[in-house]
Amino acid sequence: MIKKVKKLVKDFGLGELRTGLKVTGKEFLNKNITVQFPEERTPISPRFRGLHALRRYPNGEERCIACKLCEAVCPANAITIDSEMREDGTRRTTQYDIDLFKCIFCGFCEEACPVDAIVETHIFDYAFESREGSIIDKKGLLAIGDENEEEISKARLEDSKYK
Amino acid sequence: MSEIEFEIDGKLVTANPGDSIISIADREGIDVPRFCYHKKLSVAANCRMCLVDIEGSPKAQPACSTPVANGMKIHTRNDKAKSAQKAVMEFLLINHPLDCPICDQGGECELQDVAMEYGTDVSKFNLGKRIVADKGIGALIQTDMTRCIHCTRCVRFGAEVAGIVEMGGTGRGEDVKIEPFLTEGIQSELSGNMIDVCPVGALTSKPFRYEARTWQMSAVETIARHDLVGSNIYTQTYRGKVKRVVARDNELVNETWISDRDRFSYEGLNHESRALHPKIKKNNKWQEASWEAALDFAVNGLKKNAQNANQLGVLASKNSTLEEYYLMQKLARSFGSENIDYRLDKADLSIRNKMLSSITLAEMESVDHALIVNSYLRLEQPMINHRIRKATLNGASVNTINNKKFDFNYRTDLEVLCSPQKTLLMLQSILKSLHNKTKTTAPKNLSKIKIDDSQNKIADDLIAAEKPVIILGEHVNSNISSSDITDVISEIAALANAKIANLSLSGNSLSAEKVGFKPSIKGQNAASMLSENTKAFLLMDIDLNYDFINSKLATDTFNKDDVFVVSLNSFEDEAALINLDVLLPMAGLYESSGTHINFDGVAQSFSASVKGPGDSKPGWKIIKVLADLLELKGFDYTDSSQVADDALSIAVSEDNEPIEKNIKDSDDSQIAIHWQYSPYAIDGVTRRAKALQETQIGKMNDAFISVATAKELQLTEGDLYHGVPVSINETIAEGCVFVHTYQSRKG
Repeated sequence: MIKKVKKLVKDFGLGELRTGLKVTGKEFLNKNITVQFPEERTPISPRFRGLHALRRYPNGEERCIACKLCEAVCPANAITIDSEMREDGTRRTTQYDIDLFKCIFCGFCEEACPVDAIVETHIFDYAFESREGSIIDKKGLLAIGDENEEEISKARLEDSKYK
Repeated sequence: MSEIEFEIDGKLVTANPGDSIISIADREGIDVPRFCYHKKLSVAANCRMCLVDIEGSPKAQPACSTPVANGMKIHTRNDKAKSAQKAVMEFLLINHPLDCPICDQGGECELQDVAMEYGTDVSKFNLGKRIVADKGIGALIQTDMTRCIHCTRCVRFGAEVAGIVEMGGTGRGEDVKIEPFLTEGIQSELSGNMIDVCPVGALTSKPFRYEARTWQMSAVETIARHDLVGSNIYTQTYRGKVKRVVARDNELVNETWISDRDRFSYEGLNHESRALHPKIKKNNKWQEASWEAALDFAVNGLKKNAQNANQLGVLASKNSTLEEYYLMQKLARSFGSENIDYRLDKADLSIRNKMLSSITLAEMESVDHALIVNSYLRLEQPMINHRIRKATLNGASVNTINNKKFDFNYRTDLEVLCSPQKTLLMLQSILKSLHNKTKTTAPKNLSKIKIDDSQNKIADDLIAAEKPVIILGEHVNSNISSSDITDVISEIAALANAKIANLSLSGNSLSAEKVGFKPSIKGQNAASMLSENTKAFLLMDIDLNYDFINSKLATDTFNKDDVFVVSLNSFEDEAALINLDVLLPMAGLYESSGTHINFDGVAQSFSASVKGPGDSKPGWKIIKVLADLLELKGFDYTDSSQVADDALSIAVSEDNEPIEKNIKDSDDSQIAIHWQYSPYAIDGVTRRAKALQETQIGKMNDAFISVATAKELQLTEGDLYHGVPVSINETIAEGCVFVHTYQSRKG
């Protein structure tokens, strides 16, 4: 009996509406958190695992030594590497392909890399214009690395405290 | 032998006195870490990794050098053993670099595996690590001596197995270096085994360097076909290509070792001259064709040119498979032709020129005397030579009768120099001497023959020995009286109670013999086919410039306008193409299933490791389809194993020529030439294997002539003899030229 009365009061007193409006009112006064992507961007953790890149040493030498540990650890078989002995006798890749359709962005490649060559950057907004475009080759990966080296090294430095 | 009983890890086991703990642990499946111990090498006990705890012994003992004793209680995994092993591991890792990611041994490294179990992740050592500068040791083995842990397996391998001490330890303590003594690089024909025995990445395969990681490759069990042994190997393949060859254990065949030829010949498979597509010659122009078109063209040409069945000639090299030989001779015989032969490099093609071996590979190492005739055994049949070397280590003596003095890796008592023309006479003298010594009457045809001291000594040694063996090598092939030689050797063997090892049939010749891949009395042999009225040829795996004893005759015959030549080959080269009409690309070594019959008569079948490149097809399939298109019956095979079953079950009837015994007057006036290919130029694949050609053995290029003969031929040192530089010395018999080269036979 009392329950029924309470319900009637709530229904006719617009109780639900006021509860809803209370949230709206509160958020109306709060600071706006929507960002205008792509003009504005949310902050990203240094551990964010986005698009891959191959890095170079400061002297311009590519880091990758074709050890193929990333290829071995990749759970999605997204990485394909071919190696050879370069003229100076060092072990280098002739082919380093990542198929982004296969990649699950687990970050194992980065973990496995003994020379911090393959990294996952903060880049997450990219698109392909063809199916083949999903495969990035060595040249492309190095280009991404060169372009973003500053941010990549900054992120590694920030995260190094916790490793 | 009385057995002794002891306990290992709480398990009661028995063993023979003198057995080492580690061998029993291996037998029982107990894993004891080790680096320097190798079952086929002597015990060095210098890595100390196999320390185990023996109750009653105050310190841990090395399992490899401690013999078992009655009532011993051994613990391989208790705290004492483990802490000893961990301590050793820590010492080993002090100087070992952390370059596993770029090390080719990574993934199959014994040090890496053991470090995973016994190593610690942090090193207490914070001083500088030792670095060792590399001295190159040749084209086959890559050295990274900084990684060396001084187990000395390679040193012991050289001293004990290869028989040439080429590597050694110099310096003491921290400064020990394992390095080659000579700067020319490793010269052994078994050197590749050092790669297999090296537990770390100090010695790795040079042609394979950085090609692939070990975990990416799949290993296929197969058989190497370059010699009579048929060594058991694994081909390691990656993305449809053979990337590396390693040995597979088989005590009866190759033990644990393989020759460099078997190990590195695979490189030739990726040579740019591989035949990838069928090609036909129309109006004197080569064009690529589909399989259908090429086969039709071939069949029409064969039918047109061989209107009489006996105008068809079928020739094969000695490196085909049993299946290919069987189908090819079946094709020829169904077609109606008996012109079949594989003995392209033999001067004497008499049918009775066939002598069977009466000894097995394993028995070879227990002989107490060997007489080597016409063979540079070490290079020609390395694994058989290894067995003889083992016999010599147990006290066997060796005499040789050769055209030239060769560098054997064991001591020889008597090296008799004897030119090819005089070899028969030499052996007859030995036979006569044997008759004299055994007081049997010598046949009349030996009455005029004189005997000298060396022949008496050879006969004496044969009689004195309990288990002698007579080894006949492949240099006899160029001898026109080789069938007489085999007859005399058979008689000598019978008289001296010796076994025979006939190594003049090399490669897969025994398969060809098994299926009767030679003409019967009605047919023509290789030589008469080339010089007589044969109008259509079917060639299998033949390199025109190399394989024929008379390559000029062969190329001239094939070049005639009215001769139609179909060639099944894995390679095409410009010179050979001129003479052919159809080229059918055949899958090469390791690319086709098949069977090899080895020295012991064991048929070893193998499957294809990879698919042939381009449009190439397995040889047996090509022959089968050719036979179908020629409308021949009995070729309903769907699998090579069916062919092998048929091939092994047939009995070949032997047509025997009447044996005439007479002494051929030795013709001293002429100078005999023996053209011996370097062991790395014996077939198409090895010739194209780049690294092998860069070794000392691969670069052999000498025409050896004695001083007197050189005068007669008016040659001086460095002149070219048929394109090969002349080397004048006294290690060669008078009256002959011994050409040891990678170059093709001229004239």
